[in-house]
Amino acid sequence: MIVFEQVIKKYNNQDKAAVDNLDLHIQKGEICMLVGPSGCGKTTTMKMINKLIKATSGKIYIDGMDIDQVDPINLRLDIGYVIQDTGLFPHMTIADNIATVPKEKGWSRNKIRNRVDELLELMDLDPEIYRDKKPKDLSGGQKQRVGVARALAADPPVMLMDEPFGALDPITRGKLQDEFLRIQEKIGKTIVFVTHDIDEALKMGDKIVVMRDGRVVQFGSPNEILSNPADEFVSELIGGNSNLKMMNLMKCKDIMRLIPNVDSRESSKAALKIANEHDVKNLLVTDHGQKLLGYVSYGSLASNDTVVSNLIKEIGETVTPKTTLQDVLSKMFSLGKKTVFVSGTKGTVEGIVTMDDLLKAVKDDEQISESDI
Amino acid sequence: MMSRSQNQIFRLKDIALIVLIFAIGIGFSVYVVNFPQDKIVERFMSYEKIIRSILQHLSIVVISSMLAIATSVPLGLILTRPKYKKFAKTVLGVVNIGQTIPSLAIVALFVGLLGIGTRTAILALWIYSLLPILNNTLVGILSVEPSIIEAAKGMGMLPKRILFKIEIPLAMPIIIAGIRTAVTINIGTAIFAAFVGGGGLGDLIISGNNVNRWQILVLGASLPALMALLSDIIFGAIERKTTI
Amino acid sequence: MKIIEFALSRWESILKMTIDHFEIVLTAMLISILMGVAIGILITYNKTAAKVMLNIANIMMTIPSLALFSLLIPILGIGRAPAIAGLVLYTQLPIIRNVYTGILNIDPSIIEAARGMGLTRSKIMFRIKLPLAFPVIMAGVRTATVMGIGLGAIAAYIGAGGLGEYIFQGINRSNDKMILIGAVMVSLITIIIDRGLGFIQKKFEI
Repeated sequence: MIVFEQVIKKYNNQDKAAVDNLDLHIQKGEICMLVGPSGCGKTTTMKMINKLIKATSGKIYIDGMDIDQVDPINLRLDIGYVIQDTGLFPHMTIADNIATVPKEKGWSRNKIRNRVDELLELMDLDPEIYRDKKPKDLSGGQKQRVGVARALAADPPVMLMDEPFGALDPITRGKLQDEFLRIQEKIGKTIVFVTHDIDEALKMGDKIVVMRDGRVVQFGSPNEILSNPADEFVSELIGGNSNLKMMNLMKCKDIMRLIPNVDSRESSKAALKIANEHDVKNLLVTDHGQKLLGYVSYGSLASNDTVVSNLIKEIGETVTPKTTLQDVLSKMFSLGKKTVFVSGTKGTVEGIVTMDDLLKAVKDDEQISESDI
Repeated sequence: MMSRSQNQIFRLKDIALIVLIFAIGIGFSVYVVNFPQDKIVERFMSYEKIIRSILQHLSIVVISSMLAIATSVPLGLILTRPKYKKFAKTVLGVVNIGQTIPSLAIVALFVGLLGIGTRTAILALWIYSLLPILNNTLVGILSVEPSIIEAAKGMGMLPKRILFKIEIPLAMPIIIAGIRTAVTINIGTAIFAAFVGGGGLGDLIISGNNVNRWQILVLGASLPALMALLSDIIFGAIERKTTI
Repeated sequence: MKIIEFALSRWESILKMTIDHFEIVLTAMLISILMGVAIGILITYNKTAAKVMLNIANIMMTIPSLALFSLLIPILGIGRAPAIAGLVLYTQLPIIRNVYTGILNIDPSIIEAARGMGLTRSKIMFRIKLPLAFPVIMAGVRTATVMGIGLGAIAAYIGAGGLGEYIFQGINRSNDKMILIGAVMVSLITIIIDRGLGFIQKKFEI
């Protein structure tokens, strides 16, 4: 979708290039994070895409089209642009702010109105309340939501985002990141996202470009960056606890194991047989294969010769398939258990995650002794 | 080079301008006296006449400006003390309205009430130039960061020491800017003194107009203009010097 | 109290002088605002030009008004036209300076966002920069207009007419009443116009 070919940017008063021979392919529908310390060339790289900064040499293509051949104004009208300080026009209402590009494109008044309301709703801002407000009446987080809505207004295929959440407090930032990921799932834009925060890059990115001194140090998925940092610089950028960060990227559904059912009237021996067949340590106990009653553990089945219904334990708190592994771990700590069940949609249990699973997930190569449970 | 220019009051540019101003003023005076356009100018213009007008003009400006500084700065300081602070805003409002009144109207008001003469002129200039200085003294002191005063208090400084060691030095550039405005205005307004019998360079303008001789008129107009530029440069330099 | 009787007996000529005064000042201000805004906009595109222009305008302001008018006599003669020219020259600085600083002080992120979204240069100027700078520009126009009214009185010295005429004639004839009426009228008009423009200025603040 967006292709850089040997792009160089030199500012006239410096001999060192701000962006040095950059080659980059950004796939359609991906969030590509440009990350690195200040002065690494990430913002320059991004601004060359909408020609706010002109490349000294090299070619940039958007959807196969050489941007040199496109008038900058037309180019920018088709690229959404979000910046850290929002850049909302303080003299215009929220609606007029969002309507800027559609107006430039000559949309009808009705179409603009509908689009504005649609976007406000998408951003979780009630159009009735916010449409006619001025930017100064909004909180920082709300302003940035409007900033994103404004960039999305004319439904551009490409969005450029320059540290959009950088000026927000950590709680609002986290919330907006989550919201934006949710929206991106629906809209599937090609997004170039500049940040200096590696955690944001890991969380938001489909791909991450780590930059330093105008060059790409590493290009890859968050997993690749975390599990295989290209050099010292990247490891340092990631910081010490890359395993924990990895756990933040992975979801329950990636590692959870399915568990078989056993009827509560079965004997413990029969239950053990099922467990052995499936090579699992826990079984769900159901009533006539219908109602979920709880679970039985391998240990209790092995040491007691009775019917399963006597050994049922309560399932307790569960996690969802979308819970990150880091949250699973903290759930285990707070419950004081080495296993948690993963709930399905309607009170059902879909699977189980154990401490060992977590360890294996982050350290694939390491052998972990199959101990208790 | 940088460090040297920071220690000096005048920048090279200022010195060049000052020299230029003097050159134009003296050069033009010499030209008019030595190459008068006709007999009338020759009879009318002399070095003594020019110097006398300049000195008269200067004395009106200096006296009225000194009086203005001597009254408005202490007044401004008193009005910013906690005891009288509540009046400061009202005074600022009145001062602001006063400042919008044109200089000619002020001079005319005083003449209308007190009759003509040098004293009237000086009094009018004094009152009028009091306003920008009082305004800037109030604004300057009131805009000192409250946290700085808080810190000084916290360290146990006495109010008097806070005023002289903290507030005045911090407000100085703004006060100087007020004086700069006042003096520049006074140099211009002092021209009106001639209209009300106060003498000064305005005399040359009036005479030049009456006898319709451009040399006298232009000399009378350019000398106060040069004087105003000169004072602007000098006070501008002091203002810069006092800026931290 | 004699002065009020005097004013009432002369109200027709006072009214005429007042109207004259407004005519001169309004004409001059219209030209001055158009010129000043145009120059102020143009110099935002070039730093050197801005520096030169603001310096010239600054020096212009330092020159005493009566001196400036007198200097214009040998060039333009006397009457309304040179008076208006003088007023225009003299009132340029506050307008140019405020247009310039008003535009340059706009949060750069707003301009960047506008550029990034694909607004053209002229649209950014007229739809973003000028509306945002409007309160500051208005403040400059206010200062300039207030100055203009005072200058209009001084311009009577070079034969422009208006309320200044009353003051200068009063001085010539040693007529205190005329001087006072002229002075009070000019002062009142300046204060009223200043307050009025101040009110409008506040309305437009964002």
